[in-house]
Amino acid sequence: MSTENTTKNPTETPAIEHTRNGLCFRPNVDIRERDEELLVLADVPGAASDSIDVNFEDGMLTIHAKVAPRQEHDHRYLVREYGVGDFYRTFRVSEAVDAGKISAEYADGVLMLHLPKAEAVKPRKIEVSAK
Amino acid sequence: MNLIPWKSKQRSENGGEPGSLLALRHEMDRLFDAFVREPFGMLDVPWWPQGKWMPAVDVAESENEVTVRAELPGMDPKDLDVQLVGNQLVLAGEKKDRSEQHGENFFHSETRFGCFRRSFTLPEGIDSEQVQADYANGVLTLRMKKIKPTPTKKIEVQVK
Repeated sequence: MSTENTTKNPTETPAIEHTRNGLCFRPNVDIRERDEELLVLADVPGAASDSIDVNFEDGMLTIHAKVAPRQEHDHRYLVREYGVGDFYRTFRVSEAVDAGKISAEYADGVLMLHLPKAEAVKPRKIEVSAK
Repeated sequence: MNLIPWKSKQRSENGGEPGSLLALRHEMDRLFDAFVREPFGMLDVPWWPQGKWMPAVDVAESENEVTVRAELPGMDPKDLDVQLVGNQLVLAGEKKDRSEQHGENFFHSETRFGCFRRSFTLPEGIDSEQVQADYANGVLTLRMKKIKPTPTKKIEVQVK
């Protein structure tokens, strides 16, 4: 795995079938790399912690955060700059990530996923033995 | 999106669609998504510095109250400054760059951070004593009660 800044890959996974009702948005995501893990930070404002599903199946990591509607219909909107709906996004996770140890935490509308690197790709200091 | 670039593999798994075309299609999808979600945030106005953060807000009015909601994920509520002067509402704050807190390598970034300041003219007749502000799950909600209008009194005109 490269640590260069140019590793951003614009190719998304093919769109997942849209059978869900209502609006569905792609959350904004930051991905940061630490020595031991990749850190995925997804903005899912308005989602309660118990309404977030994180699934890993067949190498695909899926985030689905259900957001309860909060824009009242009987109100008159003077300013309306955003839509309210679920957040949904999938990622393809390579073998370089230890999928069994993926963990997630949530605070203040930000979902944080920890993707520990597989042993093989962790930085390792190799001792040079003198003979 | 892929967490780890793996070009040759993607091409075969995407049914032979050329990578650049697929990337373009997904970029269009992403832009469309961003536009539907935050049309205002897409504005490229000269006085608004590129990359600056401008949280999306909605302002709603009902018979008895005015509700303002802003999406502010990842903020420390202590860094929020909400002021109501008459019917002028000012929302200001600072979202700290999360990467600075750890010293990690940048990999991919879509979220924005920094200072913001937005002001709104709210409908007349808000009772500034009855304002409730909550921050939960990254959403700031302000509920402001309207001053109850004094009931109209009909005055009979006496004919002399």
